[in-house]
Amino acid sequence: MKNKTYLPNIYLGVILLLMYVPIVLVILYSFNESKISSVWDGFSLKWYEELFRDRSLFESLRNSIILGVASSCAAAVIGTLGAVGSSKVQMRGKGVMEYISTLPIMIPEIILGMVFMVFFSLIGLPFGMMTLIIAHTAFCIPYVFMLVKARLVGLDKSLEEAALDLGASKIRAFFDIVLPLIAPAIASGMLLAFAMSFDDVIISVFVTGVDSNTLPLKIYSQLKTGVTPKINALCTLMFVATILLCGLSILLGREKKPKKPAENV
Amino acid sequence: MRKVLASILALALLVASLAACGNGETGSTTDPSGAADNTSASADETSTGDAEGSTELVLYTWESMFPQEVLDAFEADTGIRVNYVNFDTDETMLAKLEAAEGGDYDLVIADDYIIETAIAEGLVTELDKTQLPSIGNVNPIYQGQFFDPEDKYTVPYGAGVQTIVYDPNAVDIEITGYADLWDPSLASNIGITSNFRVMNGMALKVMGESYNTEDVAVIEEAGKKMLELAPNIRLIKDDNIQDDLISGEIGAAVMYTSQVTMAMLANPELKVVYPTEGIGFGIMGMFIPSNAPHSDAAYKFIEYILDPETAAQCFEYLGYYCTNSAAEAYINEEYKSFLTLPEDFTGDTEMIQNISAEAEEAHTKIWTEFQAATGN
Amino acid sequence: MKRAKFKKEALMLLPLYLFTLVFIVGPLVYMVILSFLQRAETWGVTSEFTLKNYLDILEPVYLQTFAESFKLAIISTVLIMLIGYPFGYFMAKLTAKWKKRTMMLLMIPFWTSSLIRLYGWIIIFRANGVFDKMLMGLGITDAPLKLLYTYPAVVVGMVYALLPFMIFSVYSSAEKLDWSLIEAARDLGASRIRAFLTVTLKLTLPGLLSGVILSFIPSMGLFFIADILGGNKVVLVGSLIQNQLMKAHNWPFAAALAVILTILTSVMIALYRKLSGVKDLEGIV
Repeated sequence: MKNKTYLPNIYLGVILLLMYVPIVLVILYSFNESKISSVWDGFSLKWYEELFRDRSLFESLRNSIILGVASSCAAAVIGTLGAVGSSKVQMRGKGVMEYISTLPIMIPEIILGMVFMVFFSLIGLPFGMMTLIIAHTAFCIPYVFMLVKARLVGLDKSLEEAALDLGASKIRAFFDIVLPLIAPAIASGMLLAFAMSFDDVIISVFVTGVDSNTLPLKIYSQLKTGVTPKINALCTLMFVATILLCGLSILLGREKKPKKPAENV
Repeated sequence: MRKVLASILALALLVASLAACGNGETGSTTDPSGAADNTSASADETSTGDAEGSTELVLYTWESMFPQEVLDAFEADTGIRVNYVNFDTDETMLAKLEAAEGGDYDLVIADDYIIETAIAEGLVTELDKTQLPSIGNVNPIYQGQFFDPEDKYTVPYGAGVQTIVYDPNAVDIEITGYADLWDPSLASNIGITSNFRVMNGMALKVMGESYNTEDVAVIEEAGKKMLELAPNIRLIKDDNIQDDLISGEIGAAVMYTSQVTMAMLANPELKVVYPTEGIGFGIMGMFIPSNAPHSDAAYKFIEYILDPETAAQCFEYLGYYCTNSAAEAYINEEYKSFLTLPEDFTGDTEMIQNISAEAEEAHTKIWTEFQAATGN
Repeated sequence: MKRAKFKKEALMLLPLYLFTLVFIVGPLVYMVILSFLQRAETWGVTSEFTLKNYLDILEPVYLQTFAESFKLAIISTVLIMLIGYPFGYFMAKLTAKWKKRTMMLLMIPFWTSSLIRLYGWIIIFRANGVFDKMLMGLGITDAPLKLLYTYPAVVVGMVYALLPFMIFSVYSSAEKLDWSLIEAARDLGASRIRAFLTVTLKLTLPGLLSGVILSFIPSMGLFFIADILGGNKVVLVGSLIQNQLMKAHNWPFAAALAVILTILTSVMIALYRKLSGVKDLEGIV
């Protein structure tokens, strides 16, 4: 036994608990009859009813999902190709290019939002879903790129070489050998990218247009202009959905006995 | 762990594709290029009956400017779907409108001074009054103002003043004007908006100056005055400030007319103060951008809103001064006192107008100094 | 040897490089150009070269804004470090099963809107809110503390929003740690603290530093936390940029502020690379 004391575990538990306190409160107040969160007027489901009547809220949810999926997918393609390519090609300026391409997650979001806004208006690209997707793709790429690159570094090159020796084409070797090996990294990069995109306020504020209100923007404007517990209700549903997805994935994961010890993220 | 994440992602994708399927009925919003190009975006929706006119109206204004019932009734009566897009500040609106070169949006409602700029930038269509038979319902007091002296471009929709509202139970003194806000007993008890022209303007008014002074020395003087106010400021926010007053977070607040209406309805014990030094006056106007894709729908909407009964419904919801004289007869007694200036008001009113870039920069600077001082 | 032959694999880099050039280099270059232009009298910019925007930043009020931003970022980052480092470290010591579960528990809030989570803090902090009621119920205080719209509220918001990044960074570093090294150090008679300082801390330094970067940089730009929890009273460089852009509509000045902030950020990242000897930020990876 390495741990003789339970103190570390208690610490972990307490911090995790604190992280959930605000969320639990938001959920609790979604069932509050009163509109004001400082009063508890009794249990009610009326905010859920209102939620389901609010067309614009669902439209913004749909926009957010589309945006998250589109930009994380675009980032997956561009980022993966870039990472694989970069592991095979040596050329001047590569380091600089890589540094610049990861800038979007290094510099404060506000700057990114701002430069996109002025740039899009300079080149005359109309604000809307397209500008949102470009801007989000920009900050999604680094996640995929960096994760895949790190995975490639730890990869056993001999497998691919063996495949090539056995006469497989480069493309074949890529799809049959390399891709399956880096797939987990791509997936977790996409997942991270999706989560970031799904939650982004700052960049979206600058590049959104007609018909492309995203959920965080909607929440932000509601937070500022009179939040009703409708938002709490929506958050509760999203929270439940997340937990269900996690639970489901655990169940799915359990069926296959892992061959290797658990990997880290 | 990665496997777990991968399956979460797979499910997320599934949900997303389901959501995307369910979206067929609402139109072309998912197609990025379609959404970007306003002609093609509307094309597939209007294709069935374009001889009859547009079937969509892109309304661009702040959140909560119209009651949902009015929008629903308009949709039901005309068959035009209202796409309500909101901005948070006038400046965002202008930036977006400029980027879209006066396109994308059909009807914009914004503040007077920004409309002046928009007109100067050529982003506003001259109104065709023949399409607005009810234009005579507008209260002439609100017409012919600086931003549109000949009423060629705009139809007023609501007007307001900045007033002080306070809770007599949470404040020790009687407030009659801006100068009282400097009282030390109000330490960390005041909420203000972040409209720096209006807020710096309080100091200017206390000094007996105009809101629109372009004398940088005077503005800097006002900045010093503002720094003295900083210890009394608890919060700076534009929206919902009345909630903080109602919940007891602050004792006094400078707020917009609509917020005053909401605050008074929630707590009639609050006191409204029309500052003796004079007050800032603002008008919101509706205008049609120069390249509005569905301007016919915009005219229909303006005309619809000019109807006295509909207007009364709107202003009761909006809580700003009613700019439609024909509508006044329909406004509920309970609201009447909030929706017009008190008759015994004797102070000056002054509209806030655009000033020189130099003066504007001075304003920004003293405001930043002031804001930083409130944080200490 | 043949002359540097063109490798087909280089084509794979094409999408990334194209995207980077058009949508990252392009906008950034434009930002730099913009920062040297003059603001037009009413609206927009004129194409006249000027250094005015940079000179304006030297005004005490704007320098103070940078200083205030740094202060808040440092306070938040130190707190995040103090809370996050032990968390990441202890987490790495858990069994595989519990690691997985803890990671899951950390990821779930990540998927809930960060704005909503901030809203939860409003419920806690507001006058007569949960926190006040709790303290008054326990008899510790007898009047509402009015914590909302104060500096501590902003700090709590920052720490709460950015803590996961520190945890992930430290964890991924500590995960790779060879525990036998520490045991060896202990066997050789090093005290627990000494073993920690000489071995553990040194080996997890890249993670720690990357966590610092990942919390420090965003904390200068997260204007909506200062907005929602701080009543807009703390002016961050982020808020200043946003104000200049959206309210004062002085794009060149906003651009100049952004250029300076970008340079400061890059310097920090370069420093990180130098200190940790690692090229990529630990934790994201």
